[in-house]
Amino acid sequence: MSTPISASLSLEEGAAHLTALLRDSARMDDFPLPLQELWQAQAAQAHLQQLFTELRHKEDWKYTPVDFFRLPWALGQVELLGPSSFESALAPAERVAPSETLPALSSFPTPASPWEALVMGASLRAHYRVSKQGHVSWNFAGKGGLTTQLLTVSLEPHAEGEVWLNPQGEGFMIVRVHLHLSFGAQARLYLPTYLKAPNTYLYIILSAEQEAESRLEGYDLTAAVSWKRLEVKVRLRGKGAVAHLLGAARVGLGESMDYAIRVEHAAPHTESNQLFKSLVYPEGRSTFQGRIFVHRQAQKTNAYQSHKALLWDRKAVAYSRPQLEIFADDVRCTHGVTTGFMEGEILTYLRTRGIPEAQARQLLAQAFLEEVIGRVPHEGLQEAARRWIEA
Amino acid sequence: MLSIRDLHVEVEGRPILKGLTLEVRAGEVHALMGPNGAGKSTLAAVLAGREGYEVTGGEILFEGKNLLELSPEERSYAGLFLAFQYPVEIPGVSMVQFLRAALNAHRAAAGLDPIEPPDLMRHLREKAALLKLDPSFLSRSVNEGFSGGERKKAEIFQMAVLNPKLAILDETDSGLDIDALRIVSDAVNALRSPERAFLLITHYYRILQHVKPDFVHILAGGRIVRSGGPELALELEEKGYEQLIGA
Ligand SMILES: Nc1ncnc2c1ncn2[C@@H]1O[C@H](COP(=O)(O)OP(=O)(O)OP(=O)(O)O)[C@@H](O)[C@H]1O
Ligand SMILES: [Mg+2]
Repeated sequence: MSTPISASLSLEEGAAHLTALLRDSARMDDFPLPLQELWQAQAAQAHLQQLFTELRHKEDWKYTPVDFFRLPWALGQVELLGPSSFESALAPAERVAPSETLPALSSFPTPASPWEALVMGASLRAHYRVSKQGHVSWNFAGKGGLTTQLLTVSLEPHAEGEVWLNPQGEGFMIVRVHLHLSFGAQARLYLPTYLKAPNTYLYIILSAEQEAESRLEGYDLTAAVSWKRLEVKVRLRGKGAVAHLLGAARVGLGESMDYAIRVEHAAPHTESNQLFKSLVYPEGRSTFQGRIFVHRQAQKTNAYQSHKALLWDRKAVAYSRPQLEIFADDVRCTHGVTTGFMEGEILTYLRTRGIPEAQARQLLAQAFLEEVIGRVPHEGLQEAARRWIEA
Repeated sequence: MLSIRDLHVEVEGRPILKGLTLEVRAGEVHALMGPNGAGKSTLAAVLAGREGYEVTGGEILFEGKNLLELSPEERSYAGLFLAFQYPVEIPGVSMVQFLRAALNAHRAAAGLDPIEPPDLMRHLREKAALLKLDPSFLSRSVNEGFSGGERKKAEIFQMAVLNPKLAILDETDSGLDIDALRIVSDAVNALRSPERAFLLITHYYRILQHVKPDFVHILAGGRIVRSGGPELALELEEKGYEQLIGA
């Protein structure tokens, strides 16, 4: 039974309603409530604030600086933009138009956090269906304040799709993306982030359900954002499904980049590969939590995970936590985590060849991230990412 | 070209060089020999400007300038080159990228525009051929996964590319097979000129048969204890340090 939320809702009712919704995921279909109204119920907002603050004590949020949660966030506006500069090479006909109808909220994975539940009520929602070939571009600009968006993309059997998520603007932007890859579908997901404005917070919650023989490639390229968290949950639930997730982040002075990646192998002969690299400047912070979960039935799984952080100096911080949970016996699984400083010995070597220190560091920084950037199958984005590192 | 006078150097508070004096003029090849731990690499490090070495006395003039006041990169622009005893790996930076940056830094210091890519490639290929290096070597990351001998060749290759006035070769001959030693020696000989000088740090007489030195010095106890012509190296080869200098 659904309780409509209206402006006449009392503060207590608003808070109780939200609490119930967050607790009871079976009733998610009741949740397309106007967030605006909910937000105006001050008690509900206070309740949300408390939930967010409590997150800090959860294992996968412990190392992420979340002080900005406490700002008195007002609900903001987000605007959809035209094609990004990266897409100029693509013909407009290839662009997929959003579907008329949104999928039932119950078709989403159960919200695992108050954030996810919150985004269910996003003011900006869209669904795309890729039937043969095409690209989905979701280019948006936050106008300040807290904004939420919900985007779902399903690729039909054997469809080939490209998905671009291009944030612009400012504020605290929460974007929930759900991908469904049907049998034999192939998707490339591009997540470039370069937000020059101060006080930009971007939280991307991405989930992907992959059927047999599907292939997902995800490329996250991040620079110049005050705080970014990329949360990925990929479930390889059909035989032979493959997911490759790559990320390169330039974490500048005082910035924070947070990767929380979970890949679940739920079927045999599935393959996953995670390669994430963070270049961390002084007073920057990089967090990486990567989890590989292999179910008992997922025999012949190949799963790889690598996270490397290169620290500018002792004032940069990196935290890495790889986790493997393997319940099948015939699997190949490797993970590696390395964290190192820009080595004085290498810098000296370069300097003795005439390369000044600043340039020597630049060279090492570029080389470090190039391992990821060099594998991005889009030249325009590659070039942009290289420019971002230089900046 | 290079005059070192009464040089005193400490490493972590421990005196290593204790009054070293050496004069190298343009066109000369000097061999510097001495027992393990004598301070040969320390001297090379101080000349190149590596950190962690404290000069507590003496002076070094390079072409009349106080070398110790220059940063490592300025020393490189001034024409000094050190082929390292243990060259480091530079992961992900290709030899081309590395030398493009180095050459352009040299050119900028001389007030010149960056080198045109085709000219760069021609220059690098020519020098790679001099050292009989496979062209694929240029696209590999600097020293990454190189064998010991390959690293040494790569140092001499860099020297040929950067065209220094004074090259210090710290045991470049160690670890080279017989053919590689000949290739490296030929490359050094090809670069010998009245304007250029070499300081060869070595333990072996062998390389000195290929690259004939004008002077041979023996460093022991932090100073040069004997100097002579090529025959000193031969004498050392026969007698060893203990008999020759009582070390
Ligand atoms: N960075 C350093 N830290 C500590 N000790 C050092 C350092 N560099 C040199 N030394 C010490 O200084 C002394 C001289 O070392 P150096 O490397 O100059 O010798 P060398 O003559 O080059 O020897 P070899 O023939 O074995 O290369 C050694 O006792 C060495 O342990
Ligand atoms: Mg030595």
